[in-house]
Amino acid sequence: MKTNPVHMTNTDGEEQARPFVVIHPLDDAAETKVRTSGMGPMRMTLSVKISLMALRGYLLLMMMLLLYHILDLAGLFGHWK
Amino acid sequence: MRTVETAQLGLRGRVVRSKWAHSILTFLVVFGPGLIVMEADNDAGAVSTYLQAGAQYGTHFLWILLLLLPVTYFIQEMVVRLGIATGKGHATMIFERFGPWWGRFSLIDLQIVNFLTLVTEFAAISLALSKMNISPEIGVPLAAVTLITLVFTGSYRRWERVVVFLCLLDIAWFAIAFKLRGPLGEIVHHSFVPTVPSGGITANLVFVIVAIVGTTIAPWQLFFQQSCVADKRLRFSDLKWGRLDTFIGACFTIIVAGCMMLAGNAALVHGISFSDPAQMAVDLVPFVGPAIRTGILLLMINAAVLGTTAVSLSSAWAYGEVKGWPHSLELPFREAKGFYSVYVLCVAAAAGIVLIPRAPLQLIILSVQVLAGLMLPSAIIFLQLLLNDKEILGEEFSNKPWNNWVNWTIIIVLFALSLVLAAQVLAPKFFPSA
Repeated sequence: MKTNPVHMTNTDGEEQARPFVVIHPLDDAAETKVRTSGMGPMRMTLSVKISLMALRGYLLLMMMLLLYHILDLAGLFGHWK
Repeated sequence: MRTVETAQLGLRGRVVRSKWAHSILTFLVVFGPGLIVMEADNDAGAVSTYLQAGAQYGTHFLWILLLLLPVTYFIQEMVVRLGIATGKGHATMIFERFGPWWGRFSLIDLQIVNFLTLVTEFAAISLALSKMNISPEIGVPLAAVTLITLVFTGSYRRWERVVVFLCLLDIAWFAIAFKLRGPLGEIVHHSFVPTVPSGGITANLVFVIVAIVGTTIAPWQLFFQQSCVADKRLRFSDLKWGRLDTFIGACFTIIVAGCMMLAGNAALVHGISFSDPAQMAVDLVPFVGPAIRTGILLLMINAAVLGTTAVSLSSAWAYGEVKGWPHSLELPFREAKGFYSVYVLCVAAAAGIVLIPRAPLQLIILSVQVLAGLMLPSAIIFLQLLLNDKEILGEEFSNKPWNNWVNWTIIIVLFALSLVLAAQVLAPKFFPSA
C-alpha cells in the first residue's frame, strides 16, 4: 500500500517528509492475500464438529417442519382442527 | 490536492499535504460496500415489514432496531475482515474449507432465496407504479433494463457511485418521518426502553418481531459484501476504513428503518389498515397530502431497485466464484460473459414472473421467509467458523475471544428466531392467536 508519506533525504542527510499519496484500491498494485487454495478442508476440531452437527440438526428440524406443512396441506392432520 | 503518477510503479494517486486530508480521502475511496450492503437490505420487503410493524404496534419496536445495530455491524465486520484477508468471496471460502457438499448446499440455497427475493422486489415496483398510474407492463421491463445497464459499464467505480447515490436518496425517509412523527417523548422512550404493546405477547407480535430481525439481517448480505470487498480489491490497510464504512452503513440503515416505522405509525394514528405499503401511501393522502404519497411510492421503487442490484450481484458473484469464471464489475461483458449472464438472467426472470397474471406472489413471499430462515443460520455458522480458522487467517485477522462470545450469542439468538419464524409459517396452528 502506497499511502504512507514518502521520505527523501536532502543534501545534509536529513529526512524530509513528502506529501501523502492516496491511491484508490483499484488503481493500486495487487497485494498478496493469505493463501487459501490447496489447503483442503478445515481441520475438524471439537468446536467445528459441534457447530456442523448443530447445523445438521437445525436443517433436519426445518425439513421436518416443511414435511409437516406439506402433510397438513394434504389434509392428513385435518381431524386435529 | 493534485493527481500524480507514482514514479516507480506508474500508479495513479492523489497527493495531499495533511494527515487529516489523507485519512478522509482514504476513507472516501474505501467507502461504499458497507453502506450499500446495509442500505440495500432496506429493500421492498423491509419497507413492507417496517411499515406494517409501525402500523400495528406504533413506535413500540424502535428499541429492537437499536438492538439490531450492533448485531448487523458485528456480522458484517467479520465479512469485511475475511474479504480483505483472503481477497475471495464467501461462496469460494465455503467450498474450499467445508467441501463441495456444504458448498453446493449454500450456493443452491442462496440462489433460490435470492431469486424469490428478486421476485418480491419487482412485485413492489409493479405495485408502486400502478399506484402512480404507470403501467407495470411498461415500468417493470424498463426498471429491469435500467438495472442491467447499471452493471454493464465495465467499471466497478461507476456502479458503486450510482448505487451510493441511490442509498443516499433514502435520506428522504427522514423528511417523511419528520412530517408524520408522533410525540417525541414517546419515540425516545420506545427507542431506549423495551416495552410490550397493550395487547400483550401474541403470536402476531412474535411474528412481527421475528420478521423485523429476519428483514434486518439477510443471508445474501454476507455473500454480497465479501465479494464486493474482493472486487474492489480492498487492502489490508483499508480494514479500519472498511469497518467505519460498515458502521456508518449500519447506523444509516437502522435510522432509515426507524423512519419507516414512524411512517407506519401514522397509519395506526389515522386508523388505516393496509396489505401493502403502496396502498398505505394512497390511503394517507386525505391526512398528509399527495406529496407524502408520491415520496413513499418513489422510495419503495428505490428500495426495490437497490435490493435488486445487490441481491442479483451476490448471486452472480457467488456463481462466478464457484464456477471459476471471471467475475468482476471491472471487466467488460465479453471477458465475463458467465458472470453478467447470471445477473441478467436473475433480473429478467424475476421481472418476467411479476408480469405473469395471477402469479402466486403470496406463496413466493412466504417461501422467502422460510428459505431465508433456513439459509441465514447456516451462512453465519460458516462465517463464524471461517473467522476462527487460524490456519488461514492467523492471529491478526481471526476472531478474538470477545468476538466469539458476541458472535455465538448472536448466532444462537438468530437460530432460535429463524426456527420460530419457520414454525410460524409452516405450522401456524401451534401458535394460537390472542
